[in-house]
Amino acid sequence: MSRKVMSKIALLVIIAMLTAILGACGGDTGGTTTTAAPGETTTKAPDGSETTDAGNGEKVTLSFWHIQTQEKQAKLIQDSIDRFVADNPNYEVEVEPMQNDAFKTKLTVALGSNTQPDIFPHWSGGPMIEYAEAGKIADLTEYMNKDGYVDMFMPAGISQATYQDKIWAMPVENLAVAMFFYNKQVFADNGIEIPETLADLEAAAEKLKAAGIAPFSLANKTKWTGSMYYMYLVDRIGGADVFANAATRQNDGTFEAEAFTKAGEKIQEWVNKGYFNEGFNGLDEDSGQSRALLYSGQAAMTLMGSWIVSTITSENPDFLDNLGVFPFPAVEGGKGDPSGTVGTVGDNFYSISSECADIEGAFTALTYLLDEQAIKDRVADGKIPPINGVQLENPMMQTVLDLATKAKTNQLWYDQYLVPEMGDLHKDTSQELFGLTKTPEEVNAIMEAKAAELAG
Amino acid sequence: MSPASTRSLSSRQRSIIGTAALFLIPAFVVLGVYMFYSIFDSFRLSLVDWNGVSPDKTFVGLANWQELIGDARFRLALLNNFKVVIFSILIQLPIGMLLAFFLDTAGKKANVFKVIWFLPLLMSSVAIGFLFKYIYDPAFGLISPLSRMLGGKNIDLLGNPSLALFAVIIVICWQFIPFYMVYFLAGLSSLPVEIYEAAIIDGATRARYFTAIALPMLKNTFINAVILSMVGSLKYFDLIYVMTEGGPSGSTELMATYMFKNAFTTMRMGYGSTVASAMFLIITFTSLITMNIMRRGGDK
Repeated sequence: MSRKVMSKIALLVIIAMLTAILGACGGDTGGTTTTAAPGETTTKAPDGSETTDAGNGEKVTLSFWHIQTQEKQAKLIQDSIDRFVADNPNYEVEVEPMQNDAFKTKLTVALGSNTQPDIFPHWSGGPMIEYAEAGKIADLTEYMNKDGYVDMFMPAGISQATYQDKIWAMPVENLAVAMFFYNKQVFADNGIEIPETLADLEAAAEKLKAAGIAPFSLANKTKWTGSMYYMYLVDRIGGADVFANAATRQNDGTFEAEAFTKAGEKIQEWVNKGYFNEGFNGLDEDSGQSRALLYSGQAAMTLMGSWIVSTITSENPDFLDNLGVFPFPAVEGGKGDPSGTVGTVGDNFYSISSECADIEGAFTALTYLLDEQAIKDRVADGKIPPINGVQLENPMMQTVLDLATKAKTNQLWYDQYLVPEMGDLHKDTSQELFGLTKTPEEVNAIMEAKAAELAG
Repeated sequence: MSPASTRSLSSRQRSIIGTAALFLIPAFVVLGVYMFYSIFDSFRLSLVDWNGVSPDKTFVGLANWQELIGDARFRLALLNNFKVVIFSILIQLPIGMLLAFFLDTAGKKANVFKVIWFLPLLMSSVAIGFLFKYIYDPAFGLISPLSRMLGGKNIDLLGNPSLALFAVIIVICWQFIPFYMVYFLAGLSSLPVEIYEAAIIDGATRARYFTAIALPMLKNTFINAVILSMVGSLKYFDLIYVMTEGGPSGSTELMATYMFKNAFTTMRMGYGSTVASAMFLIITFTSLITMNIMRRGGDK
């Protein structure tokens, strides 16, 4: 009898232990999340020099998280920080690179328990606004304006980092706009010219389909991939203001505007006509399932952020010669400017925690991420730092940069612009548009209802 | 310890208990901090409206719980979870048992199978997720070419809302069958050899030994396996997250992925904690009820 009770208790404990992970996920388990590994990250400043420094003698330690985990980029950041420490030996910087998804979780937990690192990246937009409103990040306006440092940056990047007339972050990593990237060979074999208008694009798609090639390659498990088609269509059909008005609830803006409906209808029309590869809603962009179609010539083009060039450079360099780029075509009768782009001018902005003991020092550290050497290294790695007058060796990146510089408007990715709750809803609903499980009207109504609810 | 514990404890016994308590303290501290406190904290957070970032947590009482009760997405996730439970138990346990029986009767000759069949359990879920993502790829995977060879069309599994969940369940089973195989194998080898020999001498076939003797004797092992599988399936997260992220159209959403989405993606830590707490309650009660029903059957 008592044995039975004992075994029951034992089982209960086992169940409790098995379910404990939930508790750990939900709770702010503070301490566990902030340990940096100083061993691997201490800077190479000569130890003897620290006493000779004119500073207050006390070492200031800064913690720095970033998500540039690819080998070259991680080294690039470490080099920048090493230069900073070499010039300012009274600082010590703990650099901790981490994976994108893990970072998001970790940062949320750290911010919630006020243990965030001194310097950390984000994508501006909705989350940055939340950090600013919660008083988690420092206002950098003063430092940015000092000696006209701010003039070095592309204005579009600074405007993305600005909220309520204050600059909250520094745009550093990359200018990334979505464009059509295509397989030149496939276009040539099928006699296709670069489409100037949506009608051209659809004519090209028909031709490709007849040849048994999927016109567009898409991996939409990732959701933001399909969203790019939607954002461009909305922009070209309704102009740049439609979305901004709907999102900010200004000028009678609504997610039920005609442009959203038309964009949704166009996407579903394309899906029904088979313009996308099979099974796109189950494919994963991060594991390269859409690029594989492009490489093999089973698909002709893909609408993707310009980082694809650097991805292909490291993944399949032989394909680069065969890769072409053109901007999203104009829509006949649409209100949008055909030069307008969708993307981000900064893509990884760095903010400084308002809890940081030495904000000025941290800012100085940040400037080393864009010193001459760092800019050169970034360009060499196929990135476009969001600063004026960058010279690029790669002609395709130069094309992207020219198009982006000429753009009269730039729309930040919806899922980054919107508050996280709306952003996620947009991604879910746009996937449903592609999956034909919801009509454009239903999607609009859901978005509008949520926007109205959040606006209160 | 001695079953007849009515007598007063000797001083030696008392000192043993004291020492044991001392040695258990670290374990209890760890459990207390990382388990009981976290669980308690989840419940506390389920009563607030909090984005996980801001210093202000607004106490909203049971509003989150009310929302949860009316939340169609959560109900869908719960339903999906129960599908995973049912298929996991129906697929994993019988196959695991058969493999275990085969290994048990085949003896040393089958050691190579023991190793091979155990491999899936050693791989990380993320690696398995990626592996099967490629296997299921409708253009380059393994399934579609097979189908084309047989004159069919390309098959899209993960992108099809009505098939995606089953596609993932198959992978989950592939991953966990080895666990139950080893579990049952341990159970089978703990049965006395004499019983087996006696049965064979009495003229029983191996199949009859298995169904009439081994299975009934493994009843408790089996019950524990069912409960393990149930709890595991109810809190399942990794493969879904890697392979579908709950999509397309929510067709593979589970409670755990929904919790993660709320707490960390849409920054609704309060509501995410509500989902976590609800999961805790649902899993605990489902397990208790199942345990009771199955034990009662065993009591005769």
